[in-house]
Amino acid sequence: MKNNAEKKPPKVPVTSIRSGSMIWGSNLATAELRFQPEGFGGRRNKKPRMAAMRLMDAERSDEIFSLLLEEIAALGYPRALVLEADFDTGRIVPAAAHKWPRLQAEKLATTLSADSHPITRVLLASRPAVLTKTTFHPRPVYLHPILYSQNNVCWEAGRVSTAGCLAVRNSRREAAISAKDQTCPNCEIRGYAAVAVVELAKRNTEADLTELGELVELANMSLSRLHRAQYRYERVREMEITIAQMATVMQSMTDPVMLTDTQHHVIMQSKAAERFFKAPPGARERDLRALDANQQLFASALSTMLVSGIEPHRDLVLLDVQKGAEVIFEAVAAPTYGPDGVHVGAVTVMRDVTELRLAGLELRSNFDKLRSTEEIVRQDRDRLNLIIENVGDPIVVCDRQARIILMDTLAQELFGNPAAVGASRSALQSKNQEVFAAYSKMFTSSASDRETAPLQLYNPAVRQSIEYDARSGKIFDEMGHVAFTVTVLRDLTALRKVEQLKVERRILEIEKFAATGRLAATIAHEVNNPMEAIKNSIYLLAESIPPDALPIYNILKSETERVARIVRQMLGLYRNNEQVKPVNVNTIIEDTLLLLNRQLQRANVEVRLDLRELPDAVIAADQIRQVLSNIIINARDAMPDGGKMLIRTRHLPGRNELRSWVRILIADNGTGIPRDLQRAIFEPFVTTKGEKGTGLGLWIVKGIIQNHAGKLSARSTVGKGTVFKIDLPVVRL
Amino acid sequence: MTDLKLPNCERPTVTPDGKYRILVVDDESSVLLTYRLILEHQGYEVVACGKSTEAIALLQNQRFDTVLCDYSLEEQHTGFEVIAAARRHDPAIPAALLTGYATKETADEAAAKNIAIMIKPTVTEEFLATTSKMLKRDGYGR
Repeated sequence: MKNNAEKKPPKVPVTSIRSGSMIWGSNLATAELRFQPEGFGGRRNKKPRMAAMRLMDAERSDEIFSLLLEEIAALGYPRALVLEADFDTGRIVPAAAHKWPRLQAEKLATTLSADSHPITRVLLASRPAVLTKTTFHPRPVYLHPILYSQNNVCWEAGRVSTAGCLAVRNSRREAAISAKDQTCPNCEIRGYAAVAVVELAKRNTEADLTELGELVELANMSLSRLHRAQYRYERVREMEITIAQMATVMQSMTDPVMLTDTQHHVIMQSKAAERFFKAPPGARERDLRALDANQQLFASALSTMLVSGIEPHRDLVLLDVQKGAEVIFEAVAAPTYGPDGVHVGAVTVMRDVTELRLAGLELRSNFDKLRSTEEIVRQDRDRLNLIIENVGDPIVVCDRQARIILMDTLAQELFGNPAAVGASRSALQSKNQEVFAAYSKMFTSSASDRETAPLQLYNPAVRQSIEYDARSGKIFDEMGHVAFTVTVLRDLTALRKVEQLKVERRILEIEKFAATGRLAATIAHEVNNPMEAIKNSIYLLAESIPPDALPIYNILKSETERVARIVRQMLGLYRNNEQVKPVNVNTIIEDTLLLLNRQLQRANVEVRLDLRELPDAVIAADQIRQVLSNIIINARDAMPDGGKMLIRTRHLPGRNELRSWVRILIADNGTGIPRDLQRAIFEPFVTTKGEKGTGLGLWIVKGIIQNHAGKLSARSTVGKGTVFKIDLPVVRL
Repeated sequence: MTDLKLPNCERPTVTPDGKYRILVVDDESSVLLTYRLILEHQGYEVVACGKSTEAIALLQNQRFDTVLCDYSLEEQHTGFEVIAAARRHDPAIPAALLTGYATKETADEAAAKNIAIMIKPTVTEEFLATTSKMLKRDGYGR
């Protein structure tokens, strides 16, 4: 009899089940199940509800078969068995059993392709059946198929609105099932197929069979739901795993990779990308702004790339917030599609090309620099060529072996043009070259950086042998060795001529001056004697002057004396008719001092001489003597109580090697000349000697020096002393 | 150019044998005259000559204590000749050249010959002082 030991229902409230009424309502009227049981209504209603609650409570699909068998056993059936189909192998084998010996259970095993086997047929027809005594089992058994079925289409089928959902098909029993079809074409869920086998007793009625059927269907409902849920769960798990794997792949990429949605928001990004789009902990206001800016730049670049389709990549400059540096990326984006071909977003890989771009910029800038340097060099070279061509002197450049490597046109006249076709060089040019080569070798191997030397060369243009003034310099390489020598050959002939003319003119001037002097002297001399007579007469008249006429007489006397002084001085200075010729200035100084020595000694003037070697100067010796004595006497007069005088001579170089100077310095430590008079002392009739001075001395001195084309100047400090400086030109011809 | 600064001293005008005799030679008549007057006023006996030839002739016959002679007589610088003539008769006779200018050569020559030089126009006091020194034969060097 039936077992009334019913299990307590669990505490969870039972939700109303759409208890397979549809299932029952349909097609169960088979030949085998013709009669409806009576009297089992009440119990029948209660039992399935309890069983339903237990079955609904099952949390795992593999509990269902056990629970089902328990319930079947609770209904009083002695034995029950569930066989399950394996779609891969095609075999139908026992899966769960209740008091069914193993060996016997295994006898019922069959395959999906065994069409004639009753169990297979039940499965394929998806209809329950009763098997009477068969070879498989001695007792009659009730077979009920258990197939994955649902009332509603799977979510995926709903999306694409096909009715091709496996679950629904199975539930509708639209067609015979086939093993191959047990995969939903939409959601890809794999269905299951099993058969419940219950051993029947003789007393079992149609109603019992119905009850059994309901129970199995109830179990199947739960099972289907759980199966689906499990399937979903597993799919989600799979997806999670896949996502995790993808995430690992992404993280392992050193380049920033971003997965974005259609709004260009980042769904997923590699760690490398986080630096640019994710706020680090403790981010400051401006960091957040930077990240925002990055986001916008990225979004805009992405839009352009995806929309235009022409430019699959773009350069992008983003701020690395953590490092605070700008990075240049080359972003490559590709759209991503869902399984149904719908555009779902994009994936972007960004390559850090900062260094590449910077290198590129530097390369460009270096290239530009090179170009501009080339340009400068070219200009310099052109300028140099222009200068060389226009210097007007032969220029020769030699290498470190003193061989000629470069010549200007004028040098080529002298030495011959090695590059000319049929390099004909005249004998004279060869000679020139020998002379030059000797000089060049000497200079190149010498220790000096510069050299000036005379070179005698034949100039074919003027058909003359000319003494050139060769000036050479050395050009060194980075290591300090001689790389090149440059020589300029200067023909000083013209210069010498000019200097010669100048000297001649000067001599003329001096002589004219002398002539003027002579004229002046003559005039003065003419005046002299009358003056002497006048003066003497005044002296003689002294005693005859009446007292009241004395003032007038005194005026007469003093003015006459003044005129006499002037005449005397003029005569004193213009008294030479000597020739102008080369003389050594030191000798003149010594002569003058000899003459004045006594006077100087008496005046307690100590004279110190500092005379260096001097070349001869073309001068009028006596005039210069006048100059010297005038200045020396002035110096003495400035030291009434005695003092020191220094006379110094030096030979000074001039602007070119033909000209130089003889400098004479006469210094005293006397009273000095007041500043406001210093300019004026060289003017006529300016004197510091009061009544005694004529004021002509320095004027005439200046005149003499000017005629000699010399220079005269004075420096003085009142109370300290005075220095007169005379420069006389020397010309080497 | 000789420049003698003499202390104030008595100018001798009379020798034990009488007055000093001075020969003055200058071709400018007014100059000659005034020199004579000045010297005579000083108390000397003066013989004045206007020509070098005259002076040389005089020197042959007469004795003088000193000779003052212009350098450029008749435009010919014959002053030296006159003095040379005087020295022929009295080698130690003091002599002076009166001149408007003196070149170095002239000065050298005068120094060599122990002849004083007085630059015209003269300062009368210096003229007289030099003359006095010469008469005393008292180192009237340069």
